[in-house]
Amino acid sequence: MKQYTDLEYLKLSKGQRLLYRIASFFAAIPGKIGGLFVGLWNLIKTAAKAIGKEASDIWTTFVHGDWKTKLSYLVMGFGNLARGQILRGLLFLLFEVVFIAYMILAGGYWLSMLPSLGKVGPTEEYNIIFDTYVTTYNDNSFKILLYGVLTIFFIIAFIYTWRVNVKQNQLAEKIIASGKKLKSGKDDLRSLVDDQFHKTLLALPLTGIIIFTVLPIVFMILVAFTNYDGTHDGYYNNLFTWVGLDNFNTMLSWTSGTGAGTQSYAATFGEVLSWTLIWAFFATFTNYFLGMFVAMAINKKGINLKKLWRTILVLTIAIPQFISLLYVSKMFAKNGIINGFLMSMGWIQQALPFWEDPTWARITVIIINIWIGIPYLMLITTGILMNIPQDLYESARIDGANAWQQYTKITLPYMLFVTGPYLLTSFTGNMNNFNVIYLLTGGAPTNPAASSAAGTVGYTDLLITWLFKITTGAESQYYLASVVGILVFVVVAVISLVVYNVLPSIKNEEDFQ
Amino acid sequence: MSEQTLQNASAPARRHMGLKASRTLANTAIYVFLIAISIIWLIPFVCILLQSFRVESTHQVGYVIPQKWGFDNYVNLFQTDFPRWYMNTFISALVTAALQTIIVLCMSYTLSRFRFKMRKPLMRLMLILGMFPGMLTMIILYRVLKDLGMTQANSVPGLILVYVASSGMGYYVSKGFFDTIPKSLDEAARVDGATRFQVLKKIILPLSKPIVIYTILTAFMGPWGDFVFARYIAFGASAGKNVAVGLYDWLNKDQISKCYTMFCAGGVLVAVPVTVLFMCLQKYYVEGVTGGAVKG
Amino acid sequence: MKKFLAYLLAAIMVLSMVSTAGASELAGTYDITVWVAAEIVDLTKAQIEAYNQSNELGITFNATVEAVSEADAGTNMITDVEAGGDLFCFAQDQFARLVQAGALAKLGVKAGETVAAANDPSVVAAATVGDTLYAYPLTADNGYFMYYDKTVIPEEHIDSLEAIIADCEAAQKYFSFEMQTSAWYLASFFFATGCESTWETDAEGQFVSVKDTFNSPEGLIAAKGMEKLVKSPFHLSSSSGAEFSSNAAVVVTGIWDFETVKGILGDNMGVTDLPSFEVDGTSYHLGSFSGCKLMGVKPQVDPVRAAALHQLAQYLTGEQCQTERFNERSWGPSNSAVQASEAVQANPGLAALLMQSPYSVPQGQIHGSWWDIAKVIGDDVKAAADEAGLQTALDNYYDKISALFTLDTSALLFVGAWNGWNNADQEETYYLKNNTLTLDVPESDYMGGRIVNPGDWGTDKGFAQVTVGKELIKDLGADNPDNNIVFAEAGNYTITINGADINIIKN
Repeated sequence: MKQYTDLEYLKLSKGQRLLYRIASFFAAIPGKIGGLFVGLWNLIKTAAKAIGKEASDIWTTFVHGDWKTKLSYLVMGFGNLARGQILRGLLFLLFEVVFIAYMILAGGYWLSMLPSLGKVGPTEEYNIIFDTYVTTYNDNSFKILLYGVLTIFFIIAFIYTWRVNVKQNQLAEKIIASGKKLKSGKDDLRSLVDDQFHKTLLALPLTGIIIFTVLPIVFMILVAFTNYDGTHDGYYNNLFTWVGLDNFNTMLSWTSGTGAGTQSYAATFGEVLSWTLIWAFFATFTNYFLGMFVAMAINKKGINLKKLWRTILVLTIAIPQFISLLYVSKMFAKNGIINGFLMSMGWIQQALPFWEDPTWARITVIIINIWIGIPYLMLITTGILMNIPQDLYESARIDGANAWQQYTKITLPYMLFVTGPYLLTSFTGNMNNFNVIYLLTGGAPTNPAASSAAGTVGYTDLLITWLFKITTGAESQYYLASVVGILVFVVVAVISLVVYNVLPSIKNEEDFQ
Repeated sequence: MSEQTLQNASAPARRHMGLKASRTLANTAIYVFLIAISIIWLIPFVCILLQSFRVESTHQVGYVIPQKWGFDNYVNLFQTDFPRWYMNTFISALVTAALQTIIVLCMSYTLSRFRFKMRKPLMRLMLILGMFPGMLTMIILYRVLKDLGMTQANSVPGLILVYVASSGMGYYVSKGFFDTIPKSLDEAARVDGATRFQVLKKIILPLSKPIVIYTILTAFMGPWGDFVFARYIAFGASAGKNVAVGLYDWLNKDQISKCYTMFCAGGVLVAVPVTVLFMCLQKYYVEGVTGGAVKG
Repeated sequence: MKKFLAYLLAAIMVLSMVSTAGASELAGTYDITVWVAAEIVDLTKAQIEAYNQSNELGITFNATVEAVSEADAGTNMITDVEAGGDLFCFAQDQFARLVQAGALAKLGVKAGETVAAANDPSVVAAATVGDTLYAYPLTADNGYFMYYDKTVIPEEHIDSLEAIIADCEAAQKYFSFEMQTSAWYLASFFFATGCESTWETDAEGQFVSVKDTFNSPEGLIAAKGMEKLVKSPFHLSSSSGAEFSSNAAVVVTGIWDFETVKGILGDNMGVTDLPSFEVDGTSYHLGSFSGCKLMGVKPQVDPVRAAALHQLAQYLTGEQCQTERFNERSWGPSNSAVQASEAVQANPGLAALLMQSPYSVPQGQIHGSWWDIAKVIGDDVKAAADEAGLQTALDNYYDKISALFTLDTSALLFVGAWNGWNNADQEETYYLKNNTLTLDVPESDYMGGRIVNPGDWGTDKGFAQVTVGKELIKDLGADNPDNNIVFAEAGNYTITINGADINIIKN
C-alpha cells in the first residue's frame, strides 16, 4: 500500500487517518511476523548470552572471592552474617533451610511424580467382616500436578535468591574494598519505606497474584495437555495423564464425528466465536453511545434534579445482577408480563419469541445489556464531559455550529481520545461477560447442529458460557474447557494487539501528567 | 429514542424560534426522555419489591400487584439460614473492602509513582494474565482453599483470601487516578527530606479520597453478587454460603415454588446496604471513576 | 471369578458374623454429613435422631443435614467426592455418572439382598449395575402427568392433544410441556410410538452399547406429533406448576407440584394421564419416564464407618422412613409394603401417575450425555420446515448418539465368559483401560472369549490378531469364525493393544 509522509498524513480527515492506520497495521503484519521470528531468535541469543554472562560472573566471583564468599555458595547468607549483616544473613539462611526441608519432605516426591501424574489409582476391596466395600485411595494426579508446579515455582525462586546471595557477596567485598561501611539491618529496614519502598508495597499484592492467579493459570494451561475429566478425576476414579496435543487436535480439527449431523468442534468454535465478537461489539458500542447521551442529557444546563436521575439509573449497579437479570429474563418469557401487556393491549396476537427465536434472543440480550450498561457509562462519562473546556463550545457556537456539529466536532473526538483504553477493556470484558448471558438465557435457544459431546451449545452462548457448560456438562471435560480457555486468551490477545496498534492514546502513558 | 433523532428534532426548531424558546423545548424533550428511561429502569425493581410483599402465594405469578400484602416473606427469611448467609456476606464484604483497598492502592501507587526496572514487564504480565478467562481457575482455587481448610462451612476466610489475593490485578483505575496527581508535589516533599512513605501518607492519600472511596465501594459490592465461585467454595454447606448462593439455590426446581417470594424479599435486603452506600458516596464514585477509568 | 468367590465367602461369613460381631464393633459416635432435598431436611434430622435412639448396635450419628437439591447432588459429588455428603440423595438420571465417577459405594451382600427384597423391582433395577446394587431406593414417584384447568379444557377433550392445543389457542392460554430444554419430558412423544433408547453397561458401569430407534419411521411419527405442539404459538416450554398463575391452562409435571397447582387452581384443578396425538389416522398415547430417587453412600476408607453408614442408609430408606416421608411430604414410596398401603393408593397425585403407568417406560441406565444430546430435538423439530427437516433432526440426534461409542476408537473389549463363549448368559466384558488389561485366569482352558472392537461388538465380528504371546492362548479358530480364544494356562495376564496388534504377556 501507499505510504504517506507525515505531511500527507496530517492532511487526511479523521476517518481516512483511522483507515490508513488500520490498513497499515495489516500491511505490516507479514513484516511483523517475520520480525517476530527475528525477535524470538534475538531473544534466545540475548538470553543465552545473559545466562553465559551470569555463569561467568558467578564463577569469577567464586574464584576471586574470599572464604566468606566461597562458603556462601553452599550456605546462603553466610557472607552477610560473617560481615555483620545479621538480618539479611538470617533471612537467606532461613530461606535455604526451608527450601531444603521442603524438597526433602515433599517437593522431591511431587517433582518425581510430575512426568507420570501418578501410577496407582484407587482400589476397592470387599471387607468380609463388615459386609462392606472400602476404597483405598492412592496417587492423586490433581495434587501431583498442582504441587509439582508449585515446587517448580519454588525452585525458580530458590535459584533467583541464591543468585542474589552471590551478588550480595560480590557487592559487599567491593564496598569493603573501597573502605565504605556496609548497610546495617536498620538501614535495610529504613530503605524499605524509602528508596526501596516499592518493594514493600508490591510484596503482598504480587505474592497474592502469583499464588492465586499465576499458579492457577499455569495449571489450567497444563490441563489442556492431559485427559482430566469427570471419569479421570485423578484420585477417586481414574488417574489422569499427559496426552500431548490430542485435545488441541480435537478442538481445532474440521473433520466432524461419524455422522453428517455431528458438527466438528472447530465449526462450533467458529460459530460461538463469531457471535461472541458480534455481541462484544454491540454490547460495547450501544452502551457507550447511549450512556454518553444519557450523561449529556442529565448534564445539560437547565435540567433539574440531576442527582435523582443519576440515582435511579445507578440502582442497576447496586442490585446484584443475579436478582435483577433473572427477573428481567422472566419478564420477557413467552407468558411473561411484557408479552402479557402487549397482548392485552391488542397490539400482538401471539407472544413475541424473545427467547425462542435465535435472532430475537440475540437482539434481546443486547438490548437488555443496555439496561445494565448505561448506568456505568453514564457515571464514567459524566465526569469527563464536565472536564471538556467550555470555551471550546463557546467559540463553536460563535462560529454557528449547531448541537450536532458541536457533538461530532468537539464532544465525540474528545471522548474517544480519552476513553479509548476504556473501550478496549470494555470490549474484551464483554467477550467474557458471563453473568448477562448465563442469567438471561443460559445460552438458549439451543443450536441443534453444534457439536454435542461438550454439552449443548446455544445461539446466545459466548465462549465463556460454553466453557462453563463444558465443565459442568455430563462428562465434565475439563481438558476441553481448558483448550477453549487458551483459545479465548489467544483471541483476546490478538484483538488487544490490533487495537493497541491502531489507537494512539493508549501508548502514551505519560500524556496526562 | 436515539440521540440522533433528538438532536435533529431540536436543530430546525432553533432557527425559527428564539434561543430561549428552543432551549425550553429541548429541555422538555429531555425531561420526557429522562422520565421515560427512569420508568424503564425502575420497573424491574418495583416489581421485585412488590413481589416481596406478596403473601397470597409463594411461587412466581403472572401479575405484578399483590392481592394480599404483608411482611410474611421477610419474617420467614429469618427462620431460614438467611441471617447466617447475610452475616457471611457482610463480613466478607467488609474485610474484603478493607484489605482489597490496601492492596489495590499499594499496587497502583507504586506503578504510578515509582520507576523501577521490572515496572513495564510487570504491567505487561498483568495485562496478559488478565486476558485468561478466570472461570477455569475456580477448580484450582477450590482445591488450594480446600487444602488450607477454607471451604464448606469455613468458606468466609477462603473467599476473602481469593477476592483479596487477586485484587492487585485491578489496579488500572486507581493508577489512572494517581497519574493525574502532579508529580511535582512528591518531588517538592522529597527535597524537603520526606521519605517515600511520608510522601504517601502526608501528600498523596489526602488528595486521593475519591479513589479510595471508589475502591472501597467496588470492593464492598463484589461479594454480594458472587453466585458462581462462592457456590463452589461453600460446596453444599449451608453455613458457608454467602447470600447470593443461598438465594440462588432457592431457584432450584424443587424449591422455587415455595421460596420465590422469599427470594425477592432476600434480594431487597441485599440491595439495601449497597444502594444506601452508593447514594451517599455517589459523588466520590464519579470523581474516582472519571479520574481513573479514562487512563487505563 | 475372583469376585464370585469373594461373594460366596462373604455370604457364608456374613450370615454368621455380621449380626453379632457387628453389634459391638460398630458402636461409637460418627460425625457425618447428609445431603437431602430442602423439604425433608427437618424430617431427616428427626429420623436420624430416632435411629440414634432406637438402634441396637450402639451407633450414634452426629449428623449435619444439608439442603442440596437432588438435581445438583450428582454434579457436586463428581466435582469433589471427598467433600461430598456421606449420604446423599439424587435423581436417577445422575446414577450412571456417579457410578463412573467412583462416587457411590457398593452395597454389601446382605444389605443388597434386603433392599432388593423390600423394594419395587423396577427401582431396584435402576440402582443396579451388573449384579451389584450401588444405591438405596428412596422414592418411586419420579414421573410426570398432566395438570389442567377445568375451566379451559373440557373433560371430553383431555384425551386428545389436538383438542387441548385448540382449546388453549382459543382461550389464548398456554400449553406448558418442557419440550425445548429437557430430554426427560420430550421422550414422551417417542415412547408413544414405541421408540426406545436402551443402554447397556458392563459390570463397572461403563456403557458398552445402545439400542436407539428414535430415528426410525416410528420416530418420525413421534416428531410429527411433537411438531403440532411445539409449533403452536401457545406452547410453553416449562414444567413449573406455577405457570398456572402466568396464564397456562395445561402443565405437564410431576407430583412435587401438586400443592402449588392446587393452591392456584383450587377446585378447577384437573389431574389425569397424558393425552394421545393422532398422525395419519392412528392415535398414539403419550408415554413417559417413570423414574426414582436414590440415596447413595460415599465410598469410605474405614470399613467400620462404611458399615455404620450403610446401616443408616438402609434405615432412612426403609419402610418406616418412607411412610413418614409419604405422610408428611407425599413422596411416593419405592418400598413395596408402603406402596401397598391404602393411604398411598388413595393419593390423587399418585393415582394420576398410576393412570399414566401403562404408558410409562422404566428409566433404566442412561448415558449422562444422552440428556444433553436428546434435549436438542425439541428446538430442532420446531425449526424444521418439512418432513425431511424432521428426519434430519432425528438423524442428527442418532449420529451424535452413535458418536459416543466411537470416541475411543483405540479402546478394545475383551469379551469373555466362564467355560467358553457359548455360555453367553455368564459373559463378562472387560474394558482395556489405557489400552491395557490385567486378567486373572484361575484355571487352564478358562476364559473362552474374544477381543473385539467396541464398534464391532454385537455384530459378531471378531478381532484377534494376537501377535505377541500366541503360545499362551489356544485359538479355537477352525470351527469358530469369531476367533474365539481360551487361555492355555492359569495365571495372571497382561493384555496390551498396540495399534491393531494384541500382545499377551503372562505375569
